[in-house]
Amino acid sequence: MRKLIIPLLALIIFIGESVLANVFSGYLYGGTSFLIPRMTVIFIAFLTIYGSRKTAFMYAFILGLLYDVAYTEILGVYTFAFPVAAYLISKIMKILQSNLLISGLITLLFIAVIEAAVYQLNILLGFTSVDFRDFSLLRLVPTLLLNLVFIVITAYPLRRTIESLRVDSEGE
Amino acid sequence: MPQFFFNKKLILLLVSIILLVALIGFSMRDRDKLTWPEQFIQDTTGWAQNVFNKPVSAVTRFVENLGDLQHTYDENKKLKARLDEYVQLKTEVQELSEENEDLRKTLDKKDSLREYESIQATVIGRDPDQMWHELIRINKGKLQGVEKNMAVITADGLIGKVKTPGQFSSTVELLTSVDTTNRVSAIVQGDDKAYGIIEGFDEEKGLLMLKRIPYDKKIKKNSYVITSGYGGIFPRGLPIGKVVDVKIDQNGLNQTAYVQPSTDFYDINNVMVLERKVAGKEAEIQDEGQE
Repeated sequence: MRKLIIPLLALIIFIGESVLANVFSGYLYGGTSFLIPRMTVIFIAFLTIYGSRKTAFMYAFILGLLYDVAYTEILGVYTFAFPVAAYLISKIMKILQSNLLISGLITLLFIAVIEAAVYQLNILLGFTSVDFRDFSLLRLVPTLLLNLVFIVITAYPLRRTIESLRVDSEGE
Repeated sequence: MPQFFFNKKLILLLVSIILLVALIGFSMRDRDKLTWPEQFIQDTTGWAQNVFNKPVSAVTRFVENLGDLQHTYDENKKLKARLDEYVQLKTEVQELSEENEDLRKTLDKKDSLREYESIQATVIGRDPDQMWHELIRINKGKLQGVEKNMAVITADGLIGKVKTPGQFSSTVELLTSVDTTNRVSAIVQGDDKAYGIIEGFDEEKGLLMLKRIPYDKKIKKNSYVITSGYGGIFPRGLPIGKVVDVKIDQNGLNQTAYVQPSTDFYDINNVMVLERKVAGKEAEIQDEGQE
């Protein structure tokens, strides 16, 4: 039963993101700025830092693939971005201490990195013509602020859940 | 052997970049149908979204209703004032449509670009990665008769077209999406009708761009923009919005009208998918091909 908690959490976060985007679309995108919920990235980052690396990579790949197929319909972008981010986070966390403040900041940093990378890719593919200044004002900064709030709320419970399950699986 | 491991990682990176480019290229093609694993994933997530959406939307609807209650008195006043106007308009419309029908009969012209059948649907999810791709998911699919490229409207007007129909759920591309295949032939109403094409969305102003209007047409502000039905897919006469600004293009041959959409693209709950009764040219060619 306890083994199901992480997959279930991943599913709820993944589906919840699109339902949230729909229900609060007026608040998230209706104004002059775009606030993109990135709970999936927060989940993957915390799984990488506090869980086992292998599972984290697997979840990053599967969630990225699902994100591409189900939401954006352009395959490859997030399938590539999520595992690469997970890999880089795991490398960085070998040097840094894994307390909540630092992992929160690293997560936020990687949300910014993913946003910027996806923006560059969209420029390349011709899905947008917004210049970088507008992108950072319209989308990047508001998105980071929204996700900072998410991180502050979810960091502690997320860490506890992942760590307790990890202890479990190592004990077996 | 650190050198060996480095190479292994490098090769892995190179292979995945090649895969990335190949996958993007594959999905950027103008595809008629998604591959079956994609359809399977979409239908499964569509089902899950449906399950999640029900309790969430019930709660938000309740909260919204509470908010609405506060404005009820003012709204009621305004609506009462408009009621007389409405009765007059209704009788006029009825008379005109009867006359139209009679005239059509005398002309023996049965087909009309205006006629359509509609499928009711509920929005169950939205692509969280907005601004790049503006997609919403609805809870009706091929089994209910939804097909690719059908027009999707709300009570206020046109919002987009069906991008990829699944079995039980479909993806709708909004008019605000930046996509080269996202074009709608439209008319600016007025004494002098002007035809143009809706091409893209101005992200900062929040206005649709109606391009390719001949330079000599005089376009009044606040005139209404509707679909023309000449694109071959959409029915005629669906409201799109109102003109707020007109600009001459760089070369001076065309002008662009900025259109304030009549629907709020960020508050969509219930939609209708429209099937035009008169098939477009593309559909006719396909039918012939099948026969």
